Amino acid sequence: MALSQPQLATVKRTCWMLSLVVVAIPFLFPFLWMISSGFKGPTEIFGEPTLIPRTWRWQNFVEVFDYQPFARQYFNSIYIACAVTVLTLLLSSLAGYALARMRFAGAALLMVFLMSALMVPEEVTIVPNFFLMKWLGVMDTHVPLILLPVFGPHGVMATFLMRQYFVALPKELEDAGKMDGLSRVGIWWKIALPMSRPALAAVAIITFLFSWNLFLEPLVFLSSLENFTLPLALSNFTDPYGAPLWHLQLAATSLAVVPILIVYLIAQRQIIESFAMSGVKG
Amino acid sequence: MTRLTVRNLTKSFGKIEVIRGIDLDVADGEFVVFVGPSGCGKSTLLRMISGLETISGGELWIGDRKVNEVQAAKRGLAMVFQSYALYPHLTVRQNMGFGLKVRKESPDEIERRVNEAARTLQLDKLLDRYPRELSGGQRQRVAIGRAIVGDPQVFLFDEPLSNLDAELRVHMRAEIAALHRRLGNTTIYVTHDQIEAMTLADRIVVLRDGRIEQVGSPKELYARPDNVFVAQFIGSPKMNVCPVEAIRSPLQRAGFSTGGATQAGLRPEHLRIVDEAEGILCGRVSISEYTGGGALLHVELEGAPVFLVENSGDDAPQPGDIVHLAFSGSDLHLFDAEGRACHREPELA
Repeated sequence: MALSQPQLATVKRTCWMLSLVVVAIPFLFPFLWMISSGFKGPTEIFGEPTLIPRTWRWQNFVEVFDYQPFARQYFNSIYIACAVTVLTLLLSSLAGYALARMRFAGAALLMVFLMSALMVPEEVTIVPNFFLMKWLGVMDTHVPLILLPVFGPHGVMATFLMRQYFVALPKELEDAGKMDGLSRVGIWWKIALPMSRPALAAVAIITFLFSWNLFLEPLVFLSSLENFTLPLALSNFTDPYGAPLWHLQLAATSLAVVPILIVYLIAQRQIIESFAMSGVKG
Repeated sequence: MTRLTVRNLTKSFGKIEVIRGIDLDVADGEFVVFVGPSGCGKSTLLRMISGLETISGGELWIGDRKVNEVQAAKRGLAMVFQSYALYPHLTVRQNMGFGLKVRKESPDEIERRVNEAARTLQLDKLLDRYPRELSGGQRQRVAIGRAIVGDPQVFLFDEPLSNLDAELRVHMRAEIAALHRRLGNTTIYVTHDQIEAMTLADRIVVLRDGRIEQVGSPKELYARPDNVFVAQFIGSPKMNVCPVEAIRSPLQRAGFSTGGATQAGLRPEHLRIVDEAEGILCGRVSISEYTGGGALLHVELEGAPVFLVENSGDDAPQPGDIVHLAFSGSDLHLFDAEGRACHREPELA
């Protein structure tokens, strides 16, 4: 029996969906395994593998907070990531706007100089940064974890992204802003920034993730348990002999994923909204 | 309303001089159109007047105020851009009130002026829409609305209709003309479309290579062009120009004196197809282009370049036909070796 056109379309769509689900499994499986293991006991994790726990150990999620000041560490990560994100957005958009829109001597050279920072691995600069932070007297504080991402290679990358976006903004909008009486800063704040939501969202996501996942810097600059951020805290769920407590580590990791998911969902909506915004002509 | 005075204005980008000593007076309420080919400097000149481009030399006066160093927003001008330049993240209402808000006008005053401008331009029902939700013509009206709410002394238009389709362009042209009649503001309008220039302008400024070639009313420019460039730039199809030598004999036979002129010009619409006995010039039709109301003929004259001839009616000669052309002495334009017009009526010998 021949299928009608709508039926054929439904079959095609279903086939596509099933294919995508199959492709998604390798990506989703580790995540699901992490969530599932967060509810298991230590023995069950290494027993016969099951995706759904035989016994649901809710107390893992309570023990996580008893084992170390996890709430405090969680808060540290959130506020540091937020501070880094806000500062990076502010500085990268200002610098990116200046590099894209203002004609000044040496602008191209400055851009090349900035971009060269991306070619230096973080591990190379960690020692001079260590001495710099020690000299500034900010060891075992969160200052290095905020300053280094904002002014380091990640900040340069964010500046580059913003610059590329600003370069493509129609110049006539800027001219219209000038005719309306806006200063340079006014044009940046009232015209360029609101029109750059896709770029800002992209930079915000990348920056938040970067700060959230930062491990080397906290390891080098922090020593007090109360000052730890999540990546460092997660590696700290060990028994007295240094062996990982997997059930706690996975439960804590499951909790650590939540803000990232929220940020992504919020920013994703923003990106889609911004895509719908048209240019000046049409 | 105010007058605008330009004295020896120059603009250089590095060593390249793009505006070379412009002198111009625009009277109160006058509608002046800058025309010229691409790269002639008309938009740069407008941007210098607006304050968006710095002035390299000379003086610019708006009313009694020298404004060379005055910021764009403080010159009392408003500009309508080619691409409308509406802020896409703001509604029509916010777009129109944006400049007033920056100038810290009270919200009530902003509301009043935006509503007034919206009524004038029939935008009342579109005030809460975003630019992306408007058609090209509506966007252009919003751009004009944004300009008029500020109650500027001078309006500047930078090729405002070039993004619109032909039909809408005619409609918007009429709207701009009507708006100018109603508001009476001094207006400077840049276009490369000479029909726009001819229909809108009180005076046209023809520019080439950063210099003014001629300033005059549309009629003056059409009837008495100062040089070959203006003669060929104004009028469509463009004026036929050929060396006088090529048509000296027929001109002398017809009794036209050419004096010391080296080039002669005749507009396609001034050439009439006549009987052999009345004809001054004779040639063979190489192409006949149907234009609806008639035909545009490409006529090969002996020893002269191809002449364009407008023929009205349905009885257009066909390619290969021999045609005889006549014209009146007042329609013959004569130019010297440098292309300057020999300003005297052609006389009978």
